[in-house]
Order: sequence, then structure tokens, then C-alpha cells
Amino acid sequence: MLSAAVFFGVALLAFVGALTLVFHRNPVVAVLGMAVAMVGLGVLYMLLAVPFLGLFLMIVYAGAVMVILLYVIMALGLQEEGPPVGVPQTVLTYAAAALFIVHLYRLTLQAGPALFGPVESSFGTIQAFGHLLVSRYAVPFEVASLLLVGAMVGAIVLSRREWT
Amino acid sequence: MTFGLGHVLVLTAFLFGAGLIGALTRKSAITVFLSVELMLNSVNLLLLGLGRHLGQMEGALFAFFVLAVSAAEAAVGVAIVVAFIRRQGTTNIDAANLMKW
Repeated sequence: MLSAAVFFGVALLAFVGALTLVFHRNPVVAVLGMAVAMVGLGVLYMLLAVPFLGLFLMIVYAGAVMVILLYVIMALGLQEEGPPVGVPQTVLTYAAAALFIVHLYRLTLQAGPALFGPVESSFGTIQAFGHLLVSRYAVPFEVASLLLVGAMVGAIVLSRREWT
Repeated sequence: MTFGLGHVLVLTAFLFGAGLIGALTRKSAITVFLSVELMLNSVNLLLLGLGRHLGQMEGALFAFFVLAVSAAEAAVGVAIVVAFIRRQGTTNIDAANLMKW
């Protein structure tokens, strides 16, 4: 079926982008890998029946955040980083990540693939979403707007030259 | 065949593991910041997958709020990285040792 092929292709794309981000030593390439991973994740959101959230992710991350980071890297002229961390920390980190992946994989094997069935036609539409957002979740919505204003003011204060 | 919750869970685990490795073994402040963002987005994917599995909109709603918080975090994070680079002249996080005991 088409959606499974798209899922595996896009999952591979997102994972390759994530690996580029984690392992590439040039920060510009790392940021571009993150952008690729974000585009892949956006398509995955669309496959999970929430298409506008996928568009959101692509605009906010692959668009805004990545461009700001590229701007910072190029404006400040950053070069590559110094020596890597010590061997014990590296080994412990890889062991923790492997343990996490194996554990979640075993849980998944117990649960089975649990293939997605059809959903009702109103699921994931922007109407249903907006209705929930202004009725049952109105207070978290307003708190999120306050948080964004606070973050904006905080970012301005932090990047003013005479205050840091 | 089609895909299901199991596939989404495995992909989430791999993305989170990659982000964990990046956040703990890299020295560049920008790479660490991006890896944390990657972990955040893998959890987002998990929320969406579980919401789709249970047929409830709450998963997507929580993912939406996580997206809003991570946008705020990205703005403040970039500002912190810029201030740090200006002050120390490097992105190496080992230079952030002012409050180290």
C-alpha cells in the first residue's frame, strides 16, 4: 500500500537527517540535517492524520528556527569544535541509548504492530482542533501565549549587548 | 500492508536515542541544542502516534502545546548561545565553567 511505502521512506529520511545532525562536525551541515529531519517528521505528522500540524512543524522548524540558527552560525563565523568527550562518558551514553532502544523495541514486540485502522472523518481536521482549543483547553492555550510573549522578551534581554 | 503504532514507536526510540547521543557526547553548544530539539520532536511523534492509535484528538493537542513550548525554548536557546559565544568566543561547552564546583 502507498502509505506504508511513504512511511518507511520518510522514516528513513528523518533518521538519516538525525544522524547527520548528531555526527557531522560542521555546524552548517548539522543544521541542514536537522532541517531534513524536520521535513521528514512533518510528512509523518501528515500520515498520522494531523496534516496541518505537519505543515506547522515544517514552517516553524525547517523554516524559522533553522534559518535563525544558520544566520547565527554564519554571522558569528563559527568553526568546527574541539576534541570529543572522554571515553567513559561516550561508552556510557551509547549504552544508555542502546538500552533505551532495546527496551522500547521489546515493549513494541509485546504489543504487536497494532496497525492503524480508519478514523472518523472529523479526526485531525482543523475545525475539531480549534474547537477543542477554545473550549476545553482554553486556559492552557492562553498560558502558552503568555509563555511565548515571555520568551520573546527574554530573548531580547539576553541578546542585548550591554546587559550580558 | 500498512503501518501501525509499533513502527512509530520504534522510529521514536531511534530518533530519541540519536538525540541522546548527540546531547551527551558532542561539545558544540549548537549541536547539543539541536539534539535536545530532536529528542523533543521524537516525543511529539510518539504523542501523535498514540493519539492516532486511541482515536483521540488529545495527542495532537499535546503535540501542539509541545510545539509552542519548543518554539519559545528555541528563541531563548538561540539567545543564550549567542550571548555565550560573544562572552567566551567559542561554542565549546567546556568553556561554561563559571559555576562549576
